[in-house]
Amino acid sequence: MKGILVLGTSSGAGKTTFCAMLCRYLARKGMDPAPFKGLNLSLNSYATKDGGEIGIGQAFQAWSAGLEPETDMNPVLLKPSGNGVIQMVLNGKPEMDISESRPMDRGTAMSEAAAAMERLGGKHGILVCEGSGSPVELNMMDRDIANVGLMRETGINAILVGDIERGGVFAAIYGTWRLIPEDVRGQLRGFVINRFRGDASILRDGIVRIEELTGMRCLGVLPYMDLRFPEEDSLSDSSGRLSGQDARSAFMSNIDEFTDAAEAAGFDFDSLLGMSGE
Amino acid sequence: MDCIKKKVNEELKAGWIGPNLQCDYHPSHFTGQDCTFCYCPFYPCEDTDLGDFIVGRRGQRIWNCSDCLFIHRTPVVKYVLSEVERLGITEAGDPRFADILASAKDKFYRKGRALMVVGATSDAGKSVTVAALCRILHRRGFLVAPFKSQNMSLNSKVTRSGSEIAMIQTLQAKAAGLKNPDAHMNPILLKPKGDTVSQVMVLGQPYGDYNVTDYYGEFVPGPGREIVRENIDFLKGRYDFVIMEGAGSPAEINIYDRDIANMGAAVIADADVILVVNVEWGGSFAYALGTIELIPEQDRKRIKGVVFNNLRGRPDGFKSAIPEFERISGIPVLGVVPHADVTLPSEDSEALRGVRGKGEGKCIVGVIRFPRIANFTDLDPLFLEDVSVRFVEKPSDLDGVDAVVLPGTKNTVNDLRWMDERGISDRIRGLRGKVPIVGICGGYQMMGSVLDDSQGIEGGVPGTVMQGLGLFDNRTEFGEYSKRIVNNTAEMLVGDGGEVTGYELHMGTTEVAEKPLFEIKNLFTKDRQLEGSVREDEMLFGTYFHGVFDRMPFRKYFLSFVTHDGERVDTSDTRDYDDIVEDNIERLADVFEENLDMDAVLRILGVGE
Repeated sequence: MKGILVLGTSSGAGKTTFCAMLCRYLARKGMDPAPFKGLNLSLNSYATKDGGEIGIGQAFQAWSAGLEPETDMNPVLLKPSGNGVIQMVLNGKPEMDISESRPMDRGTAMSEAAAAMERLGGKHGILVCEGSGSPVELNMMDRDIANVGLMRETGINAILVGDIERGGVFAAIYGTWRLIPEDVRGQLRGFVINRFRGDASILRDGIVRIEELTGMRCLGVLPYMDLRFPEEDSLSDSSGRLSGQDARSAFMSNIDEFTDAAEAAGFDFDSLLGMSGE
Repeated sequence: MDCIKKKVNEELKAGWIGPNLQCDYHPSHFTGQDCTFCYCPFYPCEDTDLGDFIVGRRGQRIWNCSDCLFIHRTPVVKYVLSEVERLGITEAGDPRFADILASAKDKFYRKGRALMVVGATSDAGKSVTVAALCRILHRRGFLVAPFKSQNMSLNSKVTRSGSEIAMIQTLQAKAAGLKNPDAHMNPILLKPKGDTVSQVMVLGQPYGDYNVTDYYGEFVPGPGREIVRENIDFLKGRYDFVIMEGAGSPAEINIYDRDIANMGAAVIADADVILVVNVEWGGSFAYALGTIELIPEQDRKRIKGVVFNNLRGRPDGFKSAIPEFERISGIPVLGVVPHADVTLPSEDSEALRGVRGKGEGKCIVGVIRFPRIANFTDLDPLFLEDVSVRFVEKPSDLDGVDAVVLPGTKNTVNDLRWMDERGISDRIRGLRGKVPIVGICGGYQMMGSVLDDSQGIEGGVPGTVMQGLGLFDNRTEFGEYSKRIVNNTAEMLVGDGGEVTGYELHMGTTEVAEKPLFEIKNLFTKDRQLEGSVREDEMLFGTYFHGVFDRMPFRKYFLSFVTHDGERVDTSDTRDYDDIVEDNIERLADVFEENLDMDAVLRILGVGE
């Protein structure tokens, strides 16, 4: 099974759209990609044709890959329903309400996620997997499923997307690498600087330093684009939200534009494919 | 001199009075100042720690100590009075005052200490942390000054002496209890003009336009460092603490050696450093550790603590990881500060990014969201009223608005063209007489009939003469590269009258053909100067005054024209914006004081050493 896990240095770093772009690129190349997110914490869901429920991000990524969304693309969906209660959707069906007094059984969720990934991987050429939030929240790392959990469970290699718009992107990438547990750190192979404005040559010294310090390879600097994308988290309820019939076609033309821009910026897709294993 | 002697004699006779709450000008320097010696008994001390010589209007040398606060501190005053009594001094000008000053300085005068607050990202919460620390230390009786060597912001204010500095430093100065923020507190201000060029202001005056390469290649290694050094030294000489704010992240390793806004300034100031990280977006442990470890070792030693800021929800889970973070980083965590629900002016356009509107009132105020919108803190008081503010980026955004605001812009000519091209200008012309329209500064210039930029000074293209919105018959000309920077108080000439305070910051001069809105009072020259334009029957208002909505009279007057389905805006709870900000500074300081290890902070500041 070929696959790559895309981690982010924070929420809103651009994982979802990066994965969609990657799906688009690989579909154009005829490599039969499929999107996957082991665990998604989102209020916005999409109803699949067979009546299952998955995170909206995976639906958009599926379309980018030229596929019909299906429940294996997001086997665990957590929908906050207020007052500290979260509805857990497992393989597309509501499973239970979880709360502090009634937590999710991590073992079950992890193995269900891995099983769905296995099924999906068997049907497609390459899996584009998305992580969740930051992978190095020290207080939550041992319970993680979509990031370090998936790396441990499946041995998949990962890359890190950092958002330069807020500043501190080198610190975010280096700090994330430093805090990733040592047993999986070797699987963290590359990084991407996202949402850059201006002349990227100004970053060169910094990029070289991070490559030297971590052994990760910089796959590219992606330009800031004023694109409208579906937003996943409650955090980013900004102007990016799409709704209604036009959402899908608007998104598709956006993702084509973003894919073209990534190619034009010389994004190193070949190295990324080299990290995606067999 | 005789006049000062006479005053000092009166002061010696009156004895200690502390803060003079009866005085119209109180407090002229800082909240809690001692007014016993309104006139200094040591003048002219000619001590260069406390003042300097300047050249007067007739070319004479004058001893200037207008920034000296030494004689306004109660322990100093009480000591001076006790010495006066002990030595039996009865007259001003007694030579023994020089001895008293020397021993008072020995006892009470210390060079201040600097502390720097850096952030892992933009919007990490640096500026509110500085404001909170300023207020906490001010409450404990210290004299504190805020400082940011280099600020990139289109939100600026004008100081009493007519210098332009970033709005946020004036807010921090207010938090420190200071009445006269000055250009030393933000000696370099960068005002973006386009995507790559900024206008550089030095000590509040235009210095030149620079692109990124030239700024870091020429300005920073040239005059930049020296400007930072001189101003930090100046503030250290007059305040107990200088609380410095960094800019962006201090760990941008691609430009680290050219940075004078973060660790570079900390080195110049010999300051210890606190790192603030915004928890909200996640990844905060990574941001914190990465920032600490990417800073070269010789500078990293200055980092004395980390503050995790803006935590929403229950803190227990997050806090459980703090010991692990301290173990890995070797840096103590000074506190985990919850999200503070405070209303303070927004620092830069980041805060407006992606925001479509604010407020929940019935009446809808459409604010034109210029690409180069500037000084939009003008709008903050409106956000607190019973209206909904909607940002307008296309003509349909104006559907159903009950009022229109044209705010300030860094580039009137280019932003007017943007409005014309998008069809917003024509929609606004169509709203004439139907809803109230107010223009501030650049927006006011646009409301006129002609904008003459023949020399290309504003828009960069010579031969440009544009038609304005034609709502007023005014004509604005961008004749020379010069900028009007003034801070004024004025009387309203419309409605029920009342006072407005504001500041002007603009290129270009306007030939006004309309009825004026305000009359500016000049306390010294008694000059009568008219400001603004008004056509009440058509509900058209325009002014150069930034901050025009801050005080109640004009805000209430303007809102009295705003109706929605015949219903008016309720302004019964309207307050002066300044008072609201003051309350919020207090709340902010409370939140920080509760959640920070203040003993550790004071140790870092060297209190009690």
